[in-house]
Amino acid sequence: MHKTWVLIKTMLKMQYSKAGGNSSQIWLLAIVIIFSIPLLALYIGILQNLISELYNVLQPLGQDSIIPGLLFLSIHMLLFLISLITVISAFYFAEDIESFIPFPLKAYQLLLGKAASPFLYLYLTSGAFFLPAFFIYGMVSDASLIFYFYGIILFILLPIIPFTVASILLMIVMRFVNIAKNKDRSKVLAGIFSLAFIIFINVVIRLNTNSNEMMADLAKFIQEKDGLLQMATSFYPPALFSTRALNETASSEGFLFFLLMIGLSLGAFFLFIWLGELFYLKGVLGLGSGNKRKISQKKMKKQITARPVWLAYIQKEIRIILRTPTFLMQCVIQSLFGPIFILILLMLDTANLSGFMNLFSEKHSILMLFIATLLILGGNATSISSISREGKSWHANLFLPLATKQIFYSKILTAWLINLLSIILILIIFIWLLHVPGEMIIIWLILALVANWFTSSLGTYLDFLKPKLNWTDEQEIFKARMIAFIALLLEAGIFGIIVLILWNIGVLEGLYTTSFILFLCLMAAIFTVQLLLNKKIKANEHQHI
Amino acid sequence: MIEIKNVTKDFPGNNKAIDSLNLTIPDGKIVGFLGPNGAGKSTTIKMMTGILPLDSGSITLNGFDIEKNALEAKRIFGYVPDQPDMFLRLKGIEYLNFIGDIFEVPKEIRAERIETLTKQFNIYDALDDYIQTFSHGMRQKIIVTGVLIHDPDIWILDEPLTGLDPKSSYMLKEMMRDHAAKGNTVFFSSHGLEVVEQLCDEVAIINKGRLIFYGNIDELRDEYHTDQSLEKVFLELTDDA
Repeated sequence: MHKTWVLIKTMLKMQYSKAGGNSSQIWLLAIVIIFSIPLLALYIGILQNLISELYNVLQPLGQDSIIPGLLFLSIHMLLFLISLITVISAFYFAEDIESFIPFPLKAYQLLLGKAASPFLYLYLTSGAFFLPAFFIYGMVSDASLIFYFYGIILFILLPIIPFTVASILLMIVMRFVNIAKNKDRSKVLAGIFSLAFIIFINVVIRLNTNSNEMMADLAKFIQEKDGLLQMATSFYPPALFSTRALNETASSEGFLFFLLMIGLSLGAFFLFIWLGELFYLKGVLGLGSGNKRKISQKKMKKQITARPVWLAYIQKEIRIILRTPTFLMQCVIQSLFGPIFILILLMLDTANLSGFMNLFSEKHSILMLFIATLLILGGNATSISSISREGKSWHANLFLPLATKQIFYSKILTAWLINLLSIILILIIFIWLLHVPGEMIIIWLILALVANWFTSSLGTYLDFLKPKLNWTDEQEIFKARMIAFIALLLEAGIFGIIVLILWNIGVLEGLYTTSFILFLCLMAAIFTVQLLLNKKIKANEHQHI
Repeated sequence: MIEIKNVTKDFPGNNKAIDSLNLTIPDGKIVGFLGPNGAGKSTTIKMMTGILPLDSGSITLNGFDIEKNALEAKRIFGYVPDQPDMFLRLKGIEYLNFIGDIFEVPKEIRAERIETLTKQFNIYDALDDYIQTFSHGMRQKIIVTGVLIHDPDIWILDEPLTGLDPKSSYMLKEMMRDHAAKGNTVFFSSHGLEVVEQLCDEVAIINKGRLIFYGNIDELRDEYHTDQSLEKVFLELTDDA
């Protein structure tokens, strides 16, 4: 037990240490907090309204239990999704496991050490989504003290089941992936496959729900007490048990459900350890090693080509992103999530949404399309890892005969190119699903390409301010760094205000005028970032990182 | 020729990592750079190659100032860093090609040099593999090959022989001799005193950021009136007492 604890502490320290860090993180944190307060108030307000409205409608019908029911159901789903991503990253993509394997430790101890960081994320997530809703529901329903006691324990148990299900799934998949020859590629494929699987399940469930039938069911279930809860959680007992425990705090039945939930979580935990002992090391050992093959004279001749320096540099950047599983996940796959998510929503409800654009004036439409695109582009991690990705190779940029500006502009261009994928995906959605008129698409496309340059250069500049080069594992670049959040906050903050102003100015109408103003603002923003970047380059700051 | 004039470098908390260093490395000679751990060898080399900025003083390589004419200076030297763990996700051939592009080596020359050098170093067959799968010695060899394909006038090598097998180590030493014999500059740091003894025309010894000796090995023995081994002399010289 002691060893496991030491291992957990060491692994967490490695991931979140501020080695080579600095104090300016503190003022960044302060800014983040100040910016977040109004958002937080808004969030709690909306939640409060929603829950009390729902409660007032459902309580007289005896169906109020559906509120915690849905809450548990959605939190479990969310935690499951997050588990998939964090588990595959922590258990399999992070190569620091190799430094722990020679120690006399059992597989389950390594697993528990590795699970610590994903668990922190899960608690943060459930803390942000579950706790406020739980307390509001408690207040609205005038709950007893036991309700809060049960709730807190259930909160502690929350991540265990989704995490276990996700990691067991992945451990089994990876056990077989490890047989494959090209480890890097199969690791990535396994990651993509797992995500595609979720999306597929999601679509199947949605497509199978016939709304007429559902209304008939609904009418039936609503007749009996807690009928809605039974219907919604019938395929997922943990949500049902948790809800029953909370809703029947007064009776012994509630206590039984509470015990059942504790038992279920404990069972899941031991199942995780047992299967981990069986599968984990077999799946992870040798995962970092590659395959060897001889090169033929002909192939070698073909590989040697002379290209201009900037092209060679960008090619190098893109190769490294595509070949490093962590970079591929963070920079490419995750950034496609936003558009894919919209795509799924739209596919399910095309009939209603194709007319969606007609609801708004041209001016309001372009403003909405613009800000949504900016958010998706700003969420991309390529630019904010431009320099940090280099790690120990960064010095090569300094001793090779490369102009500093060229290095930075090539990096910005790389981020821009990766973001083109998202833009193309959004473009497809706009044309085929939203039926956005051609004229507006062209204007949107111009704005998106320029906005892409803005987010790419701002991200690169922010990474330049505080790069993390001394990582031992690629994961560290993306964790415990607020840079992604700050980049998004700056982008969404500045352009959010601009869009809000343009939205409300009555004098300003029309697609062209609005777009032109947006274009000018973007140019000004790009100009400012370039100016800042050039200033730092001129001061030779790149030699100081 | 490399000229280091009055170079000083401070790090926070470490007063004068390099203290008014003056050193001229002439053409046609192999110069070994010695000093105990933390003496300032790597810092000096990093300043010579443009990785670290100078606090004061200047460094010129064949007349080009590393700060004022950085690009010109960087085009004429080849540098082998002490850690060869770079560009691990590239294949061997891709790395060499990348270096070829950056130094604008014509395609035919590049192909010929890659083939000759990697066959000599016995890594030709591994060129299509990721550098990540290479052993330490193989990584070292691919970096050395990268330096040699653009045929720079000045070689700056930080611990170049670490991790090399005897055959490759012998080959690299021969290459260093050939390069210097053609009138070029070879500057390398090492902890292996016997290598320095058999290979170097001159040695520079640095301790606590200051140059404490520059000259050939005989001069070193003369100066300290001893016929002891280089090891003994070195230990005495760099001893704190």
